[in-house]
Amino acid sequence: MTNKLSRRDFLKAGGLTLLGAAGTMGANTLLHAGHDHNTVNTKIPVAPAMQHDEHNGNLPNVVGEVDHEKNGFNPDDILTDFDYGEISTLPTGQTLREYNIVAHNKEIEVVPGIVYPAWTYNGRIPGPTIRATEGDRIRIHFSNGSNHPHTMHFHGFHSGVMDGVPGSGPGGNVLPGESFVYEFDAEPFGLHLYHCHSFPLARHIAKGLYGAFIVDPKVGRPPVDHEFIMVMSGFDVDFDDANDFYGVNAIPFHFQNHPIQIKVGEKIRIYLVNILEFDLINSFHLHANFFQYYPTGTSLTPSEFTDTIIQGQAQRGILEFTYRYPGMYMFHAHVTEFAELGWNGMFEVTE
Amino acid sequence: MTQQPTKPTRFTFRTLILLLLPIILLVGVIVLFLTTGGGLDLESAAPVESLDIEHYQLTQNVIELHVRNTGPEAITIAQLVINEAIMPFTITPNTDIPRLARAVIHINYPWSYGEAYGVTLFTSNAITFGVDIPVAFETPQPDSATFWGFTLIGLYVGVIPVFLGIFWFPALRTLGRRTMTFLMAATAGLLIFLGLDTLAEALEFANEVPSTFQGIGLIGIGAVATFLLLDAISKGQTNTSADETQRRLSIAFMIAIGIGFHNLGEGLAIGAAYNVGEIALGTFLVVGFIIQNITEGLGIIAPVLRDRPSVKNLAVMGLIGGAPAILGAWIGGYTPSPFLAVLFLAIGAGAIFEVIYEIAKLIQKDTTREAMPMTIFSGVLSGMLLLWVTGLFIK
Repeated sequence: MTNKLSRRDFLKAGGLTLLGAAGTMGANTLLHAGHDHNTVNTKIPVAPAMQHDEHNGNLPNVVGEVDHEKNGFNPDDILTDFDYGEISTLPTGQTLREYNIVAHNKEIEVVPGIVYPAWTYNGRIPGPTIRATEGDRIRIHFSNGSNHPHTMHFHGFHSGVMDGVPGSGPGGNVLPGESFVYEFDAEPFGLHLYHCHSFPLARHIAKGLYGAFIVDPKVGRPPVDHEFIMVMSGFDVDFDDANDFYGVNAIPFHFQNHPIQIKVGEKIRIYLVNILEFDLINSFHLHANFFQYYPTGTSLTPSEFTDTIIQGQAQRGILEFTYRYPGMYMFHAHVTEFAELGWNGMFEVTE
Repeated sequence: MTQQPTKPTRFTFRTLILLLLPIILLVGVIVLFLTTGGGLDLESAAPVESLDIEHYQLTQNVIELHVRNTGPEAITIAQLVINEAIMPFTITPNTDIPRLARAVIHINYPWSYGEAYGVTLFTSNAITFGVDIPVAFETPQPDSATFWGFTLIGLYVGVIPVFLGIFWFPALRTLGRRTMTFLMAATAGLLIFLGLDTLAEALEFANEVPSTFQGIGLIGIGAVATFLLLDAISKGQTNTSADETQRRLSIAFMIAIGIGFHNLGEGLAIGAAYNVGEIALGTFLVVGFIIQNITEGLGIIAPVLRDRPSVKNLAVMGLIGGAPAILGAWIGGYTPSPFLAVLFLAIGAGAIFEVIYEIAKLIQKDTTREAMPMTIFSGVLSGMLLLWVTGLFIK
């Protein structure tokens, strides 16, 4: 850019030198501007009230609150909303879990003031958290109430016709107004996910067609005090194939502004799924603590004791931890750019 | 052939009706169009929005954006992102900005001296508008120190070089007639170069003017109006005074006015550049700048070399040519406005081209007695090359 300086560029340069020579901009004054402020980092791990404190206006945050009622879902509810389906027993003795899932277009206020033309499963982002036990029969009555073809593609063992991808038969291209029944056994145990697999795939996922799929081991997992589902995603509201906002359970900064309430000593289990489109990785970092990590949840033995993990798209894992001390503790993507664009939350730990 | 008897023009009621008829019909068509759409489906899938971020102000821990809605409909600012972080903000008077209305967005942000920032605004329709802060530093406030600073800039950029050029007067007036014609031609060359430069700068600024204000059209209006106005003034003088000396003096004044507008534009550019924090490149460039602009003073005195203009006249011409740079620096520094910059530069271009036309007429008068085609050719070319070559040192 500087290779081709115009006469005016030259004039600017000359003029600036002169202005400098005139001593109008005391260098000391200027340098002060850079060092007097409190940095974001020193301000974050403080009491929650501080976040709304007028002296603390430097913290990244949205202006206002989205209308959860109008959206039809609240990230707080999604946190503990596990859908076990309509349960019955097949003649073979196998447990059958049936689900009704409808894909439709829905306007969702993703950040205050910006309504995004989302595509949803059952009107929420992420879609219902489908939860079963290893070996159960899953039967999903899927109908497409939108004006685009959609599918449900599950991660897990199933036959090709149940894969929900174009070319796999009628389940791979469910046209508007049509429906399809996906049926398979819940295997293997672990934490999985489902999403739409219609073309163009990136757009179909980014618009909101995804959800978590938990398969509990037959023996069960050790009991804990709280189980939370967290689906990490983002929104590309201006359709430039780059995310503008990030979050967990869809709404940016939700758990920063509404800290999750837990107690000292309580055992916490988080089912963490990354479905973030467009960006290569996502991550999860827990403050002032370490967690046992079970990648994909397919083993009952943790693979790592850490405070930060990274996940590519569709990677997922189970985290287990306990807080020793009361206080406000942040959790966020340690891709800090995502954190400041919405993927940031707080645990409020009390005695 | 018989002459048609000219009818006396009478303004009757009938004429009034006939004049109004198309306007009444026009209103009818517009109403029809607005109510029925005129058979066209004009609903757009996405709203058309346009927001102009006119300027920004940095004070300690605060960034302020001054914006104007230049789109067809009202705009609502929903969220704001600075360098990949969503930031809370306040906006006055309202988050809803009506068409062509302005608003000020206030963000508490711990910016650091000398760093770069990008601010993105999201409207409620998820349309983004951005502004880059290439180098962050405290925006100069109109106090006595910056006022004096901008004044000094104007002095160096405009007044001093122009006067230095005028100081050649005693030496040059001892030259012969042919040399003087050569100098006139050289002045024409200088002015052609400056005129093109001014026009180019006007075009450059026109890109920054919100599309509603039609920057290119503004250049046309400013340049053509100035050209024709100066031409009319000059013709009026020719009619009233037959005195050649007086005429040459007024041409010198017009050159001073043209160069004055050019320097006003330069002052604006410098002031605005200072405001956005463009970095100084050193005193060498200032020296180069004085060398190049000294030719402007030379151009002013060329038409009056054979006369005896008073010192007062020379001083006034120097001020007219140079002092607007100071005014430009103030305006550009405190209220940078691409609109004003385009207007002033267009006026400057119009003035300069008119003056070239006047000089051409003077030269033509000189050459009626003795044709000197090579003198004219080499003069004009020398004038242009002088600016081009001095430009080589500083660009």
